[in-house]
Amino acid sequence: MGTTASQLDKGMLSEYQELTFLTKQEILLAYKRFSELLPKEETNGISYRIPMNAILELPELKTNPFNERICKVFSTSDSHDGSLNFDDFLDLLSAFSDSATLEIKSHYAFRIFDFDDDGTLGRQDLEKLVNCLTGGTGDTSLTPDEMKQLIDNILEESDIDKDGTVNLSEFQHVISRSPDFVSSFKIVL
Amino acid sequence: MESQKSVNFMRLLSDESTRTTVSSDSCEYYETEIYDLLPSVQACRAEQSRYGPSEGSEDDPEHAEGGSHGYRSRGPRDKTSVPPLRNLPLCMQGKRGVRERRKMQISRIGVWASWRRSHSIICRRWWGHMGEWFSGLLPWKHTLHKIEGRVGVGVKSYFVFLRYLIWLNLLHCALVGGFIVGPTAFHSGNRKTELLNMVKNFSALDVFLGTGFLENSPLFFGFYKHSSLRFSCLNTPLLYFAGIISILLLSLIMVIRRTTVGYKHTWMVGKRYSTNVSFKIFCSWDFTIQDPTAATLKHSFIRNDLKLFLQEQSFSLRKAMRTFGQKLRLYLLRFILNLIVLCLLGGAFYLIYFSTHVSQQKTDDLSWLVNLLYQYLPPITITFVNLVLPHMFRKISSFEDYSFTTQVNATLVRSIFLKLASLGIYLFFFFRKLSEACRENRFGREMYKLCIFNFLATFCNTFLLSYPRKLLKEKFPTSLLARLSGKQRFLIPFNVLDLVYVQTVSWVGVYSCPLLPLIGIFTLTATFYIKKFSVLRCCMAEQRMFRASSSSVLFHFMLLLGLLMAAVTLGYDFHKQQYPSSSTSSSCGPFGSEETVFNVTGECVKNLPAAAQTTIRYLSSEAFALPLILAEIIILTSYVSRGRANTKAIDRLKDMLVMVSLTDARKFVKPKNILKNQLYLFNSLERLKSTKCFTNITVGTTKSKKNIFYSDSTFQGFL
Repeated sequence: MGTTASQLDKGMLSEYQELTFLTKQEILLAYKRFSELLPKEETNGISYRIPMNAILELPELKTNPFNERICKVFSTSDSHDGSLNFDDFLDLLSAFSDSATLEIKSHYAFRIFDFDDDGTLGRQDLEKLVNCLTGGTGDTSLTPDEMKQLIDNILEESDIDKDGTVNLSEFQHVISRSPDFVSSFKIVL
Repeated sequence: MESQKSVNFMRLLSDESTRTTVSSDSCEYYETEIYDLLPSVQACRAEQSRYGPSEGSEDDPEHAEGGSHGYRSRGPRDKTSVPPLRNLPLCMQGKRGVRERRKMQISRIGVWASWRRSHSIICRRWWGHMGEWFSGLLPWKHTLHKIEGRVGVGVKSYFVFLRYLIWLNLLHCALVGGFIVGPTAFHSGNRKTELLNMVKNFSALDVFLGTGFLENSPLFFGFYKHSSLRFSCLNTPLLYFAGIISILLLSLIMVIRRTTVGYKHTWMVGKRYSTNVSFKIFCSWDFTIQDPTAATLKHSFIRNDLKLFLQEQSFSLRKAMRTFGQKLRLYLLRFILNLIVLCLLGGAFYLIYFSTHVSQQKTDDLSWLVNLLYQYLPPITITFVNLVLPHMFRKISSFEDYSFTTQVNATLVRSIFLKLASLGIYLFFFFRKLSEACRENRFGREMYKLCIFNFLATFCNTFLLSYPRKLLKEKFPTSLLARLSGKQRFLIPFNVLDLVYVQTVSWVGVYSCPLLPLIGIFTLTATFYIKKFSVLRCCMAEQRMFRASSSSVLFHFMLLLGLLMAAVTLGYDFHKQQYPSSSTSSSCGPFGSEETVFNVTGECVKNLPAAAQTTIRYLSSEAFALPLILAEIIILTSYVSRGRANTKAIDRLKDMLVMVSLTDARKFVKPKNILKNQLYLFNSLERLKSTKCFTNITVGTTKSKKNIFYSDSTFQGFL
């Protein structure tokens, strides 16, 4: 393992340190974890795209109800299949790191919650979000009436311009007042 | 530099205020940052931040360029220093592109500016390295991370608090070593034989009771006699006094600072801007959770929480519709339940009184085991009472038909009262009954016993109660006993109460038992591992998770109460020293027969040069007190009025915010909504006019000023 970790040369390392919120140790650890996911015959791993299914097997993401959205948001793949190369992987870890700013975190949170990628959180997005949070279907989940009451409540509070959707600035406005958000929007390897 | 601060502050939040390096101004900065996040400011940030990240890669250089410009034109802060690349919400390639362009800009602009820019980058990196290095010094990072992953942020905040207490005790230890133990050890060569004798008389029972060889050890007040160190301003009593006072002052400053940092936050989140549901939806998932069972638990927790919210909404509706008879019945029920609570508290206090009374009777003729039991009776009673009653309070409050949040708070307030009052009652009775030659030694011994016993109770509770229960549940999941015992939960508030209690005992006892902080370090460290075992091995996470931020305010507020109690006890002790009654003249320790705390400082002042003497006399006279009080009143008034002005400004900004959003959204609004919106606008306008200052608002930060002017102009345009 020690040899794979040293493949990341010094220049790259300092570049990543400049471009992300990660520390040197965290980048090396990320590289180690990333190269464990690589297929054996792959030697130069940095540009290889790991398919989404393999990423979702990471214990840090496995239990997360938003794991597929996270992969899709951070993937730069042209076919939007949620596959990640090492750059994307570091982007992900950087946004979820301890020291990322509230602005970065809320920005990515918004994009993760925006299920249909239309730039605002509409009623469908909110409903999907609530379903993800409460663990999907089953007899214990919220009834349609409760769901409607809940979404009405959310929109009443957060939808400042009353256009029926929550846009990025409104979202960040809400998030900025939650001191707990920064401490819980976090994935550390 | 400023952005560094904000990063630091975020780290503080994410670490639940573990850092002590963060100054309060970073918090103020955070407040201005909020203005920065207002939609009206964001409006000029345009489309880039919405779609930039997915498209601003290298094949779209124009776009990314626009993005970096958009950021630079944000406010005065960004004009002077370019935001670090990592702050851009772009993908890695996008950031590389921006960096290339910045480099080209550097070659275009002057040498001086480019030097300044690269210098600022180096500084930033250096600070980052320093921060990393310091955070590496904090112990138990991985353990905390593991706990966080298993059971969430709420439980982690308990452990962070525990770590903070250990750090506090370490500081106390350093002070005790410097002021009290150090000088005595340095100036008492002939007492080494005394110490050797002590070691010879070692017995295990004495370790628990604090008697025998420990009586004359450095553990207690009596050891620190007036020694060869006899200068008028540098002698053992004075050093002792200075040590204790500095410990209490230091604790006061540290605790207050952390309370205010947390308080500012809760205040900002405050009730006036109700965003409860949105928080529950947008911020409730804890992304740190890795354990599948913890994740399912979190799902069900969120579901319950949301249902609870909806229920509370209908509860308040139901409450509004209660008939007079129902109200009367309910109040009667609450009155009776409160009476029961009072009775329970009274009973508990009587029990403590009784045990204190019993333990102070002479018990020399009994066997050592009974003797030990007698000696430990008060600590056992206090611990027992504190173990049982909170759970009863929890049950009682469920009958009172309060909303769920009020129930939890009521239980907590009652438990806090019980915990601190039981200690207070114990001290009170103890002081009244005390009639020994060396009062302080005796008192120190009691505190020592409380400390030791509380640790033993924690230990036994985990290994003799929780762990067997867990084993039973694992081995025989269907047996009656296992089903009866139910699920074990880690109740954060009660556990924190325990910690606060230990720290309070340590503060109260540090005067008469100066090595208590040292013992505290050992017991707290052991508690850390015991609780870790208990959390990871025996308990499930609590159903109702605690919000990390609000709980930390509560924790520190409780600590403050404990500190207050310690100060009162110390004051009472000094008072007794000043006016000793015939039975309680103490004649041991640094303050001998004639010397009291007041004498010693007086002696020191007398030997100072004349100018210093007059200054001190003036400072302690009434002539100085009056101007001091006046000045304090003036400063306080100015702060209060400034606070009020800020509150008003925030309200007004909120109104503006609504209006700006409305004007922005005007073109999208459907015709039937226009009338409604205009009505709303009109109402807000009326409200503003009634306060008569919507044209000349002055707010401290330039950023919000800009904000207001912006909204003002749109406002007038709209008219």
